[in-house]
Amino acid sequence: MVLTDQVRSADTRDETHQRVRRRTVLALGAAAAVTGVAGCDREPPAPPPPDPLLPLATDAVALAGRYRLAAADLPDRAPTLTPIAEAHEAHAAELARLMATPTPPAPSAAPSADGADARLEALRAAEKAAYDAAVEACVDAPAHRAALVGSIAAARATHLEALK
Amino acid sequence: MTAELTAALAAEYAAIFAYGPIGVRLTGAEQAEARAAEAAHRRLRDALVLTLDAAALPTAAPAYALPEPVADRAAALRVAIEVERRAAAVWRAALPATTGGQRRQALDALTGCAIRATRWRRFADTAPLTVPFPGKTP
Repeated sequence: MVLTDQVRSADTRDETHQRVRRRTVLALGAAAAVTGVAGCDREPPAPPPPDPLLPLATDAVALAGRYRLAAADLPDRAPTLTPIAEAHEAHAAELARLMATPTPPAPSAAPSADGADARLEALRAAEKAAYDAAVEACVDAPAHRAALVGSIAAARATHLEALK
Repeated sequence: MTAELTAALAAEYAAIFAYGPIGVRLTGAEQAEARAAEAAHRRLRDALVLTLDAAALPTAAPAYALPEPVADRAAALRVAIEVERRAAAVWRAALPATTGGQRRQALDALTGCAIRATRWRRFADTAPLTVPFPGKTP
């Protein structure tokens, strides 16, 4: 309970950082604009590097779409596939909150003419790759992000178990 | 770091204790899964004992309160799910308190608990088989 609170306050801190960073970026932008007027050919400031959690969010959104489509095409597997799709959607939403950026747009999942076994095998492969990426992201994450990213990694492992 | 890992050790003692009465109520593949789960928790305990400073080591209590009496198979499966849920929560809490190799171990432990909970839900015919954020306490 206490630890949850710590995580939550750490999340809040992260949002504060984001706000501060945004303010800094705005201030830098304004300064650059002024400098630009005075000095003409100055380079615009480099955009901030993308958040290291962005690939995780992109994976979550893409996987959610693929599971939704598979659940629609394979109704007898929907009771397993739909909760997994919902989990990926919840992960994408939490990651977006942590990064203070909007959820990345969903790529349209391509319809598949493959049979059920091939569809599930493709989902397993995509889930395994996403799990591996989440493990490394958790190990590299700062303390205030480690719990959420760790839960996402563990959830992806349980999806592989549920697909067995 | 020590407080979180000490809490994890206490949870591992409790999990090892719980799988005794759980295993008694199960047969066949379910009993085999209980034995494998107990062995996994013993490995986690042993790794923690090696990691933690001997002076800070809590000792195992003679008995631990179970979430409910393990009267039959259905109760054994419910208790097994709950044991793994509790263990997952302490390992998740250890993630922010660790770095590098220790964080990887804590994540492996959290993942193992989450996978075992999924297997127990399948044995118990509980839907859904998965939760969105393993180890997260409401």
